[in-house]
Amino acid sequence: VSALAHYLEEEGVPAVAISLIRLHSEKIGPPRALWVPFELGRPLGAPKDEQFQIRVITRALRLLDCAPGPAVLEDFPDDDPTAVDLPDWQPAFDFTAGSIDIGKREVLEHALRQELLAFAPFHERFVAASRRTTIGLSGLSIDDCAGVLADCLAGSFPANPDPSANPVQALRWAVDDLKAYYLEAMSADGPMPSSRQMQSWFWDRTLAARAIIALRRQLLASDDKRSQAIGRMNLVPGAQVQRLGLQ
Amino acid sequence: MARMTDLPQATQTNMANLECPRFETTPFVSGPPLAERRVAVVTSAGLVRRGERPFVSGDVDYRVLPADTSATQILMSHASVNFDRTAFQRDINVVFPLDRLRAMVATGTIGSLAATHYSFMGATDPRGMEANARAVAGRLKSDRVDAVLLTPV
Repeated sequence: VSALAHYLEEEGVPAVAISLIRLHSEKIGPPRALWVPFELGRPLGAPKDEQFQIRVITRALRLLDCAPGPAVLEDFPDDDPTAVDLPDWQPAFDFTAGSIDIGKREVLEHALRQELLAFAPFHERFVAASRRTTIGLSGLSIDDCAGVLADCLAGSFPANPDPSANPVQALRWAVDDLKAYYLEAMSADGPMPSSRQMQSWFWDRTLAARAIIALRRQLLASDDKRSQAIGRMNLVPGAQVQRLGLQ
Repeated sequence: MARMTDLPQATQTNMANLECPRFETTPFVSGPPLAERRVAVVTSAGLVRRGERPFVSGDVDYRVLPADTSATQILMSHASVNFDRTAFQRDINVVFPLDRLRAMVATGTIGSLAATHYSFMGATDPRGMEANARAVAGRLKSDRVDAVLLTPV
């Protein structure tokens, strides 16, 4: 956003950027930026903490009034209070698919649907409480997303409604929707764990994650460079690749 | 948490080696007091309205997010998987804080909220976005916006 801020300001529109990577703001030098010490993905820090978020916004917008000149980079002083692990946290639910053979398409799809079904009450509670879901990029039902994952592992990639996009892109959206389903279900009840705890639980304990990791391995071995790229960059977060020792 | 030392080693290396644009000008526009400003959000979070084509890697275009778009209609289609999405799932304001800006209008901290807001997808060389960013600036000026809050992910 630092470069966008520069272009807007050059056109006469005053802009202030929230900065998550201080190094990039130092290099680009936007007109005004507030660096925040928050996790990537959380430019305003704490979810559902209205006062904390308003403090961040106010601090940033005040640079419009107070900054003495161009390329101002200020630091926000406080950490996100929600970015800490909860001691002894466990999700309110668990589901063990057992040692199924994910190489058998029908077996995998059935087991994935069973897993989705087990988590459905929690996801329904999340949607009822938050009155929204972030599922929807694929345009498919969550069961069909599981079907796409099983199909792709069996070597059959879905048709993409956008002809300009790689068919593997449709897989990417289905995987994004699946991840959102599990993580939203985990957010249904109780005190909120850190994102690190939620990610570890998802990647260690769910059949969906096991299938996504297998698919990543399959795409990396593909001859198609765009498939390789999606396998390398767009399925499993780098932090999990490192934590799980994936190649 | 977004201190470089907290990131996975591969991400740290990518971030450190990422080529950033260098600009020859240092624009700096003044304006009225904050309490009189009209504020818009421009995000690089890859937000789209439900049913729109999601962003894909390399996209340099933008999406229009009218202020009255319901939070239920906004999805995140950023190409990178290397950032937290759980906060956005719980609270859209952590990335796209229109509710918070409305509260700030109510208290008189800012003057008003823009009618329209904009979304780019950040995992792309920003130099490719220049023409679209300047087009967005034109639209913002048409909406009398004189303060933009830019939010990354």
